[in-house]
Amino acid sequence: MAEKNYYTIDPQGKLQCMKCGVPLVKGKAKFMYLDNGFPVELPVCPVCGFVYVPEALALGKVASVERALEDK
Amino acid sequence: MAQIQERGSTHVYKVRKISKEEMEQMVARCVYEHPPFCSAACPLKLDVRAFLDAAAAGNFKKALQLYEKIAPFPLVLAMGCEAPCEKACRLNELGDGVAIRAVEEAVSRFGQISKLGGVFRTKKRKTVALFGSGLFALFLAGEIEKKAYPLTVFCAEPDLESFLHSETGFLDEAAFTAELKRLKGKDIQFEFGCALTKDFLEEKRAAFDVACCSAEVFARLYPEAVCDPALMFCESLKLVTGTSAGVLDASFGAKKAALTVDRLAQNLDPNNMRGNEGAVESRLYTDLSEATKLTRVPMEGAGYTEAEAAAEAGRCIRCHCEECLKSCAYLKHYKKHPGLLSKEIYNNTQIIMGDHPLNKPMNSCSLCGQCTVVCPNGFDMARVCHEARQNMVSTDKMPLAPHEFALLDMLFSNNEAFLSRPQPGFETCKYVFFPGCQATAIAPETVKAAYLDLCTRLEGGVALMLGCCGAICDWAGRYEMQEQTNEFLDRELAKLGDPIVIAGCPSCKKELAGHEGLKLVGIWDLLLELGLPEGGHGLERPAAMHDSCGARGDAETQKAIREIAKRLGCELTDTPYSGDRSPCCGYGGLAAYANREVAAEMTEKCLERSDAPYISYCMACRDRFARQGRESRHILELVYGTDAGDPPDISEKRYNRLSLKNELLRELWLEEPREMKLDYELRYTDEARRMMDERMILTDDVIAVLDGVRADGECIQDEDGLLVARRRVGNATFWVKFSREGDGSYLVHRAWSHRMKVVKREG
Ligand code: SF4
Ligand code: SF4
Ligand code: SF4
Ligand SMILES: [Zn+2]
Repeated sequence: MAEKNYYTIDPQGKLQCMKCGVPLVKGKAKFMYLDNGFPVELPVCPVCGFVYVPEALALGKVASVERALEDK
Repeated sequence: MAQIQERGSTHVYKVRKISKEEMEQMVARCVYEHPPFCSAACPLKLDVRAFLDAAAAGNFKKALQLYEKIAPFPLVLAMGCEAPCEKACRLNELGDGVAIRAVEEAVSRFGQISKLGGVFRTKKRKTVALFGSGLFALFLAGEIEKKAYPLTVFCAEPDLESFLHSETGFLDEAAFTAELKRLKGKDIQFEFGCALTKDFLEEKRAAFDVACCSAEVFARLYPEAVCDPALMFCESLKLVTGTSAGVLDASFGAKKAALTVDRLAQNLDPNNMRGNEGAVESRLYTDLSEATKLTRVPMEGAGYTEAEAAAEAGRCIRCHCEECLKSCAYLKHYKKHPGLLSKEIYNNTQIIMGDHPLNKPMNSCSLCGQCTVVCPNGFDMARVCHEARQNMVSTDKMPLAPHEFALLDMLFSNNEAFLSRPQPGFETCKYVFFPGCQATAIAPETVKAAYLDLCTRLEGGVALMLGCCGAICDWAGRYEMQEQTNEFLDRELAKLGDPIVIAGCPSCKKELAGHEGLKLVGIWDLLLELGLPEGGHGLERPAAMHDSCGARGDAETQKAIREIAKRLGCELTDTPYSGDRSPCCGYGGLAAYANREVAAEMTEKCLERSDAPYISYCMACRDRFARQGRESRHILELVYGTDAGDPPDISEKRYNRLSLKNELLRELWLEEPREMKLDYELRYTDEARRMMDERMILTDDVIAVLDGVRADGECIQDEDGLLVARRRVGNATFWVKFSREGDGSYLVHRAWSHRMKVVKREG
């Protein structure tokens, strides 16, 4: 069964890894906090594996999941 | 770089029990839920407050509905009641108590009768017979009908008029007509003209499930039998009956009797589940100072008109206790009185699995102790919240996030920025000056001036200790960290020869007082003893004194500060809630970290007391008021003629501590401090700086990210052409959006962070 992704961002070739000189692609990643894991799809460098968490995601969805877990 | 261990998992299923008795004792101190004295005195438990409230608003329909809950025949009760409520009314202490009975009468006369669909209601199956007439029988008939039992009344009277007339001679014609109409509307069967003999009663009752009779019938037919007045029940005869010594007594008796009927109809013991019947005691506290209308509204005719009744009802001050809610922005924010809030917070600590919705409220209290002073019963909300925090920490259920920044700040104060030295030329000292972490962060110049002054004017050597007293971890409920901090400070003090600590801040003084054998004095006391140094001066305009919550209950300190202000030539204006009743600026208890909104409301609450500039003696208060744009000065700034100026941001606070330490090391102890120099140039846009302060991101965090990218080159280019890099520092990942300028420097545009870890996932 395919795993459910909590969040997906497709960089559509607009982001570039400066170290490897290649565009970031939509890739599989995982958020982990206090022993809980959430599969997501984020912009990832296909070469070095840099995973990008844009500002809006960090302050929005990620922050609210953090708050919810902290009060568990 | 100090670190704090994040709690491991949300899957920790243990709780530390708090004694239930202790909690209940605490909760019971709050009298918020006690009834007002008028209702407490009413055996029928009329909600007098709500009743008068509705009447005052001219809503007689609602008022009557409330009254009908206790009175099936409102006019009979209102016109005949002895009204113990009126005697209990608090306004009697100042003038006339509220004429509650007269308002009840007007409401019963003018209020719209509610149509409780008498005949069409579904009836219960069990049947009831009632023998006799009079007030008790009338009320009991009304109560039983209300409970929807099919009821038959056997009376000697020939018709309904005469039945109603029995013992109600005090009703005037209009009232009698109204009550007759009401009685006709009730679903009750009558058999008139009955000879109420023993044989008649015995024969008739056989057809019913429950039998009742009036006091007169009972006394006449069964002179030997006894009735239990608590239940209105004669056990041996299985007969519900009553006594009637007046309207209120008959009414209360009918209430108890109706409950007994109900229990018997369900084959239950009549003692079953009766609750707290009759008048009760109340310990409600009420502030009478705002009561203004102290004389009774006069009556033009025999009773109040609608307008008169509404005006009289409007005199009621709706007795209630909210002393603490009036003065505490935190309690006001959560709109809960401490009794209730404590119960919820204690329950929160006992949740084994799942959400802890009260975490944020328990962390938002500033632990300032104001409520304990303003509450007539000394309710100690600070203790409740503090113990709850410790409890959560002990079971590893306390989130680190709300307090981590403050805790790391404390570790910074007691590591990188820590300084402890005897006065140059001394091995050990008689004194040590302990200005506190906030003073060194916010007003380093003032700290320096104070230290130099103490060194020159005190005999026996004055050491200096720059650090945090441990209040931060204490407030966070991190008791193990607090123990470590205490041991650390004790060791450092021992090295200096266990000197007398000169506290620069009342909160430090309070915190350090917990160290066994430690001798303590406030700098304010010494300054009064030594005399004020040259160069100080007061403010040009009259100013308001804000008392620090660290000095609550410390009248000496409050007095000393005022004396200093006076000697400096300050003119102080009076403010409400000063001295022991002073509210917290919002820094205390780490409220500002756990709940910015509530902390801002606390600051607002402090500032609304006066438009004047504020003088305070805690640097955190000074800082928070200045941030709100108020002219705000610490008493030591005035003493030393210094001005700490605009409030620093979070990074500047750290920088100030470190540079004060380095400056003093260089100038006084002739040591060359190891300073970390960046080997590249780093600048920030104004927006970045503002954003970092708001998001609690330090320049040190940004430097960690840029050091990283300079070492490993890992960064990406965003759509807007700017570069983005990240680094994990402690329990958070920091992201920096920056550009490389032509001159090789870095310009930071944005910064953000998150606590979750993010990793690439295979497959
Ligand atoms: S002041 Fe507050 S805590 Fe004290 S009794 Fe009144 S409502 Fe309760
Ligand atoms: S002022 Fe109002 S609430 Fe207070 S005792 Fe009197 S009637 Fe009751
Ligand atoms: S903030 Fe102060 S006054 Fe308010 S509940 Fe907490 S300790 Fe009491
Ligand atoms: Zn790469």
